[in-house]
Amino acid sequence: MPSLDFHPTVPVFDANIGVGHRHDRVAPFAGPAELSAQMKAQGVDRALVYHVQGETISAIDGNNALLAWIGDHDGFTPQWMANPNQACLAQLQTLRQEGRLSSVRLHSTTDSHLSFSDWIYGDLLDWLADADIPLWVSLADTPADQIAATLGQYPQLRTVLVGAHYMHAMAVRPLLRRLPNAHIELSRYEKLGGVEELRDEFGAERLLYGSYYPRYAMGPILYYLHTADFSTDELAAVCAGNIERILLKAIA
Amino acid sequence: MIADCEVIDFHGHVGRWDALDMADDPDRMLFAMDRAGIDRACLFNIFHPDGRRGHDLTAAFVTRHPDRFIGFAYASPLWPDDPVPELERAIDELGFRAIKIYPPYTPYNLDNPVWDPIYRFADTRGLALISHTGSEATCPPRLFANVAARFPNAHFVIGHSGNIEPHRSEAIAVARAHRNVYLETCSTFRAPGVIEKLVAGAGAARVLFGSDIPLMDPRPQLGKILTADIGHDDKRQILGNNARRLLHL
Repeated sequence: MPSLDFHPTVPVFDANIGVGHRHDRVAPFAGPAELSAQMKAQGVDRALVYHVQGETISAIDGNNALLAWIGDHDGFTPQWMANPNQACLAQLQTLRQEGRLSSVRLHSTTDSHLSFSDWIYGDLLDWLADADIPLWVSLADTPADQIAATLGQYPQLRTVLVGAHYMHAMAVRPLLRRLPNAHIELSRYEKLGGVEELRDEFGAERLLYGSYYPRYAMGPILYYLHTADFSTDELAAVCAGNIERILLKAIA
Repeated sequence: MIADCEVIDFHGHVGRWDALDMADDPDRMLFAMDRAGIDRACLFNIFHPDGRRGHDLTAAFVTRHPDRFIGFAYASPLWPDDPVPELERAIDELGFRAIKIYPPYTPYNLDNPVWDPIYRFADTRGLALISHTGSEATCPPRLFANVAARFPNAHFVIGHSGNIEPHRSEAIAVARAHRNVYLETCSTFRAPGVIEKLVAGAGAARVLFGSDIPLMDPRPQLGKILTADIGHDDKRQILGNNARRLLHL
């Protein structure tokens, strides 16, 4: 029976946290210590973090800022932003050679007024697919039809679709059918019974917990997952096991 | 279903919205409510501007599970006739407990006098009236400041509490200024600290839990309250006590 206090009962690895200031948005937390305190309060053990400056203005600057932001703090796995700029690709390849890259996140194509098309992003997508590096793509920042059309040309590329909203309710399942190597992060997916529906069709191994903090609070979706009709193993996989597997494979 | 706390969801829908894959399937709604720990949900149908058809659909839906669902009327200035007879039917014959309005489905700001007959009915009966609010031109929460004082016996519930800033702060300001204004919590914009801000700004006695079921699953919306950094007494008020008082349950 639920109670007035909720705490997760399984280890939690948040697959979607943005850090730092953006040109149009000041971070609500000062640094890693404050974010760690918030994570601890909500029962989140670890987080995959990207720098929000990379969403729109500059992936390169955002990635450099992320290095400084994390410093030597534990509990954070860096995620590097990507855009189609060749200098950005070179930066990512250097991070890869240094053993510091386990995933990449696409910048906001909408805010950048770019179409997410293979003739613009082909070099990046070819490299990611060849190196077996997973790509995070936000449905809040890139249109679903462009994701389907472009990533459909890279069936071997492992992807995590983040930020699906109830406005995407008619698109999510067709996207996951079309992209067999795609996973879905659930921070904004509030369709009625939606997580059980996705589990039934695609299996719990394709679902990930993420919060999209600080756009969204960490706790509400965790409560959703803990009250979903999941087995304990499924809950553990969705809350942490699946992202661990995805990131480890990239490092291996 | 939550130990020592009755949970009443103040914001839910009857009807279909196919583009968003929304359907009022009672089995799916009750499944999610049971998993979440929600005892009862308040429902209204905003898709039929004639009033009567939506009310009949709501009544038929609620009648199937009267222990779990509470009907609300829906009223609009687009109705061709005087709204009072249909509102009397909804409240007195169908047993509905409150009124919902949805200004974005009309060309009229919520403080336009065309809404006055509906507000006057709520005022005369001492009813709660919930309105959608947000960034839409017809319904920023600040407009309630022009309404609440004129109808002091009605209880105005600011649906979504304005959804986003600066409208959320407007909603809080109106609730602070008017004792008959309340803040309802459902929103797809689940920013950190929202519930704490509503409680700090207006007091827990003026905040009502809502989920937007079945447009949204109620579990994340309930999780917003349960994971907020507020006390148990505040949570009990928000989750059920305030609704029970407003609806005379």
